Amino acid sequence: MNMKPLLLSAALVALTLPALAQNAPELDVMSAEELLPLAKAEGTVTVYAFTSRIAAVEKAFEAAYPGIDMVSHDMSSTEQITRLKAEASAGIASADVVYISDAPVVFKDLLEPGLITRYVPPRVASLLDENEKSPLLAQRLSTKVLMYNEEANPSGAPVKNLWELTTEPWKGRVIMVDPLQRGDYLDLMTELVVRSDDMAQAYQAQFGKAITLDDEIETAGEQFIVDLFKNDLILVSSTDDVNAAVGARGQKNPPVGFTSYSDRRDNEDEGWALQVVNTVVPANGIIFPAVLAISSTAKNAAAARLAIDFLMGDDSSTGGAGFKPFYVAGDYATRSDIVSHPDAVPLADLKAWSIDPSATAKIRQDVSDLVLSLQ
Amino acid sequence: MSLSVSRSFARPFPLNGHFALKLLVLAVLGLLVAGPLVRILLETLSPDAISAWSDVTTGRLSRNLLWVPLTNTLILGVGVACGCVLIGGFLAWLVVMTDVPFRRTIGLMATLPFMIPSFATSLAWGSLFRNSRVGGQSGFLEGLGLTIPDWLAWGMIPTLIVLIAHYYSLAFTVIAAALATVNSDLVEAAQIAGAKRRRILLGIVLPVAMPAVVAGASLTFAGAVSNFAAPALLGLPVRMQTMATRLYGLIEVGQTSRGYVVAILLIAVSALFLWLGNKVLSGRRSYATITGKGGRAKRFDLGTARLPLFMVALFICLVTTVVPVIILIASSLAPSSSALFSNWTLHYWTGLSNPSIAQGQPGIWESPFIKSATSLTVGLGVAVAITSSIIGLIVAYVLARDGKGPLAGLINQISFLPLLVPGIAFGAAYIALFGAPIGPLPALYGTFPLLLIAGTAYLLPFSVQTGRAVISQVSGDLDESARMTGAGMMRRLVAITVPLASRGLAAGGLIVFVKIMRDLSLVVLLFTPTTPLLSVLAYRYASEGFTQFANAITVVILVISIAATLMANQLQAKSQPWLKS
Repeated sequence: MNMKPLLLSAALVALTLPALAQNAPELDVMSAEELLPLAKAEGTVTVYAFTSRIAAVEKAFEAAYPGIDMVSHDMSSTEQITRLKAEASAGIASADVVYISDAPVVFKDLLEPGLITRYVPPRVASLLDENEKSPLLAQRLSTKVLMYNEEANPSGAPVKNLWELTTEPWKGRVIMVDPLQRGDYLDLMTELVVRSDDMAQAYQAQFGKAITLDDEIETAGEQFIVDLFKNDLILVSSTDDVNAAVGARGQKNPPVGFTSYSDRRDNEDEGWALQVVNTVVPANGIIFPAVLAISSTAKNAAAARLAIDFLMGDDSSTGGAGFKPFYVAGDYATRSDIVSHPDAVPLADLKAWSIDPSATAKIRQDVSDLVLSLQ
Repeated sequence: MSLSVSRSFARPFPLNGHFALKLLVLAVLGLLVAGPLVRILLETLSPDAISAWSDVTTGRLSRNLLWVPLTNTLILGVGVACGCVLIGGFLAWLVVMTDVPFRRTIGLMATLPFMIPSFATSLAWGSLFRNSRVGGQSGFLEGLGLTIPDWLAWGMIPTLIVLIAHYYSLAFTVIAAALATVNSDLVEAAQIAGAKRRRILLGIVLPVAMPAVVAGASLTFAGAVSNFAAPALLGLPVRMQTMATRLYGLIEVGQTSRGYVVAILLIAVSALFLWLGNKVLSGRRSYATITGKGGRAKRFDLGTARLPLFMVALFICLVTTVVPVIILIASSLAPSSSALFSNWTLHYWTGLSNPSIAQGQPGIWESPFIKSATSLTVGLGVAVAITSSIIGLIVAYVLARDGKGPLAGLINQISFLPLLVPGIAFGAAYIALFGAPIGPLPALYGTFPLLLIAGTAYLLPFSVQTGRAVISQVSGDLDESARMTGAGMMRRLVAITVPLASRGLAAGGLIVFVKIMRDLSLVVLLFTPTTPLLSVLAYRYASEGFTQFANAITVVILVISIAATLMANQLQAKSQPWLKS
């Protein structure tokens, strides 16, 4: 039997199928009111989200639009990317909306091959900066910054220079999520390398001499990562582990750790005393966009757009029900008409590096290999 | 329908009915077992991916990608094998050969730990011994004011202990079965000749049990090197990687070729040691020929050691069965694992979403996601039990009725191949083969059929074993007579073998069901949001710090597993001959 031609042609047919994915430009210009009846007909919308706060969004969305069932899946960005790629090669359309950080990988691995599509609700377009709506819609800016325990350090942050973290007093007392498991932490490591000049200056300021690099180490940023790991850096698998380790009340000598500034919102509920270290040179971490996009194979195209519209908040100064879970100290809305949360350091005063996704994408793999070689 | 189809299919080849069936079986096995493994090998040999081999084995990263995880894996394998043989052997000796009190109870309890998923034991260890190294809730012992050092809370020592506590019942079962066959005539002859107890033990009992000891050691070794849950939950916080956790990490972050290389090497390690075990066994096979049924020998009189040894055995059994279950139940009710027995609440079971507790996660009873995961997991267990029993029975039937020739040899080898393949590597291979469309077949990623065929293939060795056991109970004469009357093969299978073997098949099916229910390593990579499974949900809750939810789900898995196991034991009361007095 000669099966080969048959198999080949079948494979070709199968390959062309995903290209027939729905693309609905007419939906892009509709308002929420115009989308609603179409979305109601679809009846459901599936959201992949990188934050557990999506559960609250789901409730609010279903209250605002009865009859449309939001199915939300809380998955890390790294996992979403792996899943979306696997689902695309399998020709499965599972997600409608993708709510994700890890912009460097998202642009390269999801947007470029066309797995996700940009959508900007028309009503918010004029409220966003150009880089907040292209190449993808940024909903808010999130952080991975150094945090400390304000109960144990009543006189303020215990660290003035990042290089202090590589010295004996901080041995085994710096904690973060494994950068190989979470992309935003790899972005943080990468940013340290991108900002090597700043890191070299800070080294000079801390130790009073110019930095000397180990063999095979080329930049001050890489040297910092090496030294940090040598100082028994503790890696955990989720930001909540970092928050609890750093923030739990009643500790005598708590560690410091890199986590989301916005997790300070849970201080009261969880019994934490998290506070941002904002007095540190050269910076306390990174600030990066959380983006919203539509899966190119979305089955519920109208409901997907309605969900993104909802997630962008209403016209009140705090963003209303859709934005409520994100209107917290430490998260910064991209919409210019939503004001910063009163309890947070205003965006302009936050000493965090704003990442450039495309610059990060270039050296991310090398930094990832460096981190792997240190573990 | 199927009868007429198979008959019309068989008619053109009246002489070659067996041959056709063999080819069919071989094709199915090839697709289920050999296909995925060949696929990952080919995947790593493609031009883009071939550099992954040098990255993993010789490059700058090889130390952390391969050599350190390999060393940890081997330490775990050897340590667990030694520990299991010592503890399992000791208990087997007590139960089978001595006059220790409550032998039945000890014998039953010693088989239980294997039914408790290893991630459950790991979670229980964490609830007790967790220290503040990684923050979050500290464990019960720190809550009592004790200081738990890192080495006892995390890393190699706890992983070793948890895995020994999980796998020793495997060694116990194998060794106890062997000891039960020790010919009492030999022991009595030695006693009459005036041999001391030690002499009898070393000269008669140990040699007879030796193949079982080696088998127990190599089985537990293979289990330990492929275990994912224990090193992932207890080792990662101190950066202890085994090959299984490294493989998972690489696949999860999209470095698939490197992951596949690690998978292939992990299979090689596991296969090498099982092969070595077989080699040792085959050299000593002569002992297995000691047969003949004498009366049961007089049990060793333990004398004054009777009570102390009983206490030791009871302690081992309690610590590995009752204690973890109690801790799991308590910690699914206690808001803080540092105070396991206070402020109990049913919130984690039945509570509605409350933003001030665990970021508003509702109790597992209220979560629609967990409800669908429960039905999917049970459905998968039932489906895999059915399909693998059918395939196992057909394979066993083919081998039993005409087990000669190269084809039969190949079928035999392939059907036992999954035993050598760690579950997580098997999962990786299945994603590689079925993740994208093959010809006219659609991609199976994220579908129930993928889980079903992966589970069926993974448990094939067990179902073939079951199939062989039940078929050997059905006399070949019946089959012969039916054939004389002109009954076709399918007809004979359905009308004679299956009804007679149904009890054994059902018991085997239940064991497969339990294995699927509590499996984590096979499904952890196959998991998608559209196909949620309980064990993976428990693992995720645990790694996100929601230990109460993880423990509550684990209790659900335990209850279902134990119920099914007890049913299986009822069905095959004969399976524990050493319990008879």
